[in-house]
Amino acid sequence: MEKFFQLLVAGIAVGGIYAIIALGFVVVYKVSGTFNFSQGGLVLLGAFVTYQYSGPWGMPFFVALALAVVTLAGVAMVAERVVIRPMIGKPPFAMLLITIGLLVIIEQLVRSIWTEPGLVLKTPWGNDRYDIAGVTIRHADLWTMGTVTVLFAAFFVFFSRTDAGLGIRATAFDQEAAAAQGIPVSRAFSVSWAIAGAVAVVAGVMLTSRGGSALSPGLGLISLRALPAMIIGGLDSPGGAIAGGVIVGVTEIMAQGYLDNDTTGNVATIAPYVVMIIVLLWRPSGLFGTRAVERV
Amino acid sequence: MSEPAALLEVGDLNIRFGGVQALRDLSFDVKPRELLALIGPNGAGKTTVFNCLNGIYRPQTGFIRLNGEDLIGLRPSKIAGLGLARTFQNLALFSQLDVVENMMLGRHHGMRTGLLSAAIWFGRARREELKNLRRCHELAEFLDLTRYAGRPVGELPYGVQKRIELGRALASEPKLILLDEPVAGMSPAETDQMARLILDIQEDLGIAVILVEHDMHLVMDLAERVVAMSFGEVLAAGTPEDVAARESVISSYLGSA
Amino acid sequence: MTVIDRTEFRESLPAASRLLPTRMSLVGLAIAAVLVVATPLVVEDDFWMTVLANAGAFAIAAIGLNILTGYAGQVSIGHAAFLTIGGYVVAYFGAERGWPLPVWLLLAALVGGAIGALVGPFALRFRGNYLVVVTLALLFLTVYVVENWESFTGGFDGASTNSAPLSIGPIDFRELSLFGKDFTREQGMFYLIWILVGATAVVARNLVRSRPGRAMQAIRDRDIAAEVAGVSNVHYKIAAFSISGAMAALGGAVYAVNLRFISPNSPIEELFISIRFVAIIIVGGLGTIHGAIVGALILGPLPELVQENIGVLDFTVPLLDKPFVGETAADGGVFTAAAFSEILFGVLLILFLMFQPTGIAGMSRKLRARLAARATRHDEARAVGEIADEGTEDPAGTTAHE
Repeated sequence: MEKFFQLLVAGIAVGGIYAIIALGFVVVYKVSGTFNFSQGGLVLLGAFVTYQYSGPWGMPFFVALALAVVTLAGVAMVAERVVIRPMIGKPPFAMLLITIGLLVIIEQLVRSIWTEPGLVLKTPWGNDRYDIAGVTIRHADLWTMGTVTVLFAAFFVFFSRTDAGLGIRATAFDQEAAAAQGIPVSRAFSVSWAIAGAVAVVAGVMLTSRGGSALSPGLGLISLRALPAMIIGGLDSPGGAIAGGVIVGVTEIMAQGYLDNDTTGNVATIAPYVVMIIVLLWRPSGLFGTRAVERV
Repeated sequence: MSEPAALLEVGDLNIRFGGVQALRDLSFDVKPRELLALIGPNGAGKTTVFNCLNGIYRPQTGFIRLNGEDLIGLRPSKIAGLGLARTFQNLALFSQLDVVENMMLGRHHGMRTGLLSAAIWFGRARREELKNLRRCHELAEFLDLTRYAGRPVGELPYGVQKRIELGRALASEPKLILLDEPVAGMSPAETDQMARLILDIQEDLGIAVILVEHDMHLVMDLAERVVAMSFGEVLAAGTPEDVAARESVISSYLGSA
Repeated sequence: MTVIDRTEFRESLPAASRLLPTRMSLVGLAIAAVLVVATPLVVEDDFWMTVLANAGAFAIAAIGLNILTGYAGQVSIGHAAFLTIGGYVVAYFGAERGWPLPVWLLLAALVGGAIGALVGPFALRFRGNYLVVVTLALLFLTVYVVENWESFTGGFDGASTNSAPLSIGPIDFRELSLFGKDFTREQGMFYLIWILVGATAVVARNLVRSRPGRAMQAIRDRDIAAEVAGVSNVHYKIAAFSISGAMAALGGAVYAVNLRFISPNSPIEELFISIRFVAIIIVGGLGTIHGAIVGALILGPLPELVQENIGVLDFTVPLLDKPFVGETAADGGVFTAAAFSEILFGVLLILFLMFQPTGIAGMSRKLRARLAARATRHDEARAVGEIADEGTEDPAGTTAHE
């Protein structure tokens, strides 16, 4: 039973990280209809940039984190401006493939810039743990859950209470109508990518911290597990991102805890995808996604 | 067994989308070689009727029979194979394919070439292709499309595309053809040409036609019988003159136009 | 309606040019055949022979992916899964059991086709983005199975493909001897693979120019209208995945033989291999058979070209004071050769999507059209005159629009 609770806490924490990644994804998808594979690359880059600022350049951790958030928001906006904006109106699969190209480029750039093996991202909470009634809980997981809660709260306030948020919602609803109302559609595009870049940093730092703080270029691939998360939640639903993230996180950690052994191998790596396929067969637009209406 | 009096029988059709009753107890029939017009204001459910006939929508109750065979629940591709062809209100051509390829797709269900014989090509596949190409070429001539034959249809003028779509429907050798606003957006000259084609189709080729059209002159000129619809129900049915004289039809048009 | 004789039919119906080979395509075919025969005679180096043979294996798989994506309009980023499946089929049935060449080739295609057919139904339920992630799931599931089904795949230890039989009848591609000339294994594999490329291309071309291919393209352009016209989406989406999977598995099988050994660490079952195939068909030209081959020839050998031409790329970058590209990480370059070629794949993919979405095939098509237009300007002038004549007796006046 202790094991179960321990795994549950860890699962929710990991799920929270996937939810953040998925959030960045959903925002971009909602606004521009771009299925953004490069989100995984932004997560990877975010973690390494934070390391660069806090480690070699000696900034205090939270300063480094804040600066990394600004940096990645900038990188994402530039990427949007240069390769996504000119593709508006082109077939959606072309945009999707472009973001795959971006993912490849970002991952290889990270591998080329930070070549030294065994880099460690030091966080204030490190690898400390609490022991409550036999259940071991890592500080990293508590920090993660707290951050995820704050981030999502901030996002929903931004989304529903601010002009920029309204602009994004209007653009997501109907691009042409929004433009006709004088809402700067292109700014909504920029803002959505900036959000994607910003949340990616937090996700990257949290994922690294959970994994024992060693930085890995494989982070981009791990971040792809947020894809099943947001598909389970529904591509265009920020709330669904949380649900999907937690489902995927808990599934993955439970599979790791109970199913992985010498004969079954690494079930955790495929469990999210299996759950995704099952959910999709049941609800083809995910749990909270808008059902596509076909018009003839 | 004698041939059924009606080619198409539609009875008590009901379909709801969410809270909206799109069709209510709709019944009508089409006789062989008949030209029936379906009229009504926007939103009356004319295109919904077509979508039910085609199998794109599945009505909750009612029946649709073509030559006595029930169509409800069949996939659209199967229904096409039974002899029901269609053109769309907003054109639904395969834009990257050329004129003849579009028409060849109308003949798809009548052809047999499978993956294996297509892969081998020589023999059956080739024979069948050439035979059907020839038929499409004749149709292209009939529709005055020969000079566009090899061009991707996406780049051709609107009026030409409308004729190509008609060609695709005709290529399938249908018993009944559904025309959804065939002359919408056309110039008067193009409308005349299309009207003549529709008459040729019905009279020379012996294909029954259901015509959905807002152009009342065209409907009055062409149709043998008219079914007027409003809010998913049949308002009136009869000869064009009868239906046009009905008060309810006039008010329904004026009320929403 | 008029009945027309064969020659007139051919001329009056431009669509027939897609059906029957033009003089231009026959010439191209002849040149390609000569190149395939001559290359091993000119390039005797084993390394480059293998690189070019691998490009052929990629071409086979890329033709398959192009049928799926370019013709049927379904995007897959899980195609490495089919290559992997083909690879393990040859390892188990070819190398370990010693089944003959035609049998393991056919088996690889059949298994790939069957698994493709299993993915097909998903394409009916999920479209676009959802389907892309399902294909990604297929890749991860395949990798999982490879790692854990040890009795078949050898698990993490992998399996050898080296001893797979390479002879068909009297011809042994391992030690080919033709017209008194002896060929190396590498040269033999080149011939074997490029013969398969030719066969795959012919089959693919036959498929796309006739009924099944037309149906797939109709689904790509407008799936509901295709269904209404009588084209079963179920049938042809499954068919597209199946054909595509079969060809990719075939390519994977011969590629695995070239690798001599296949394991979870082989460059065959990674996401980046899948992406490379997407890049190949985009750069070569979506929806063309020869485009897939051209794309594979350009992008297939790219890593080796970078590796072997490091001398051009290792110039010192001014501010960083490091060589631009180093062969390995130990050389301290800004990029390693491997990273640099991956980046090139990404950049080429993006550039082509942005500026030349029809790929190299589209470029050459435009060029040919321009040349043809110049040649027929005279004919056209005459034709315009005819149309004008017709217009006078055409009360619909359609010519006014043109």
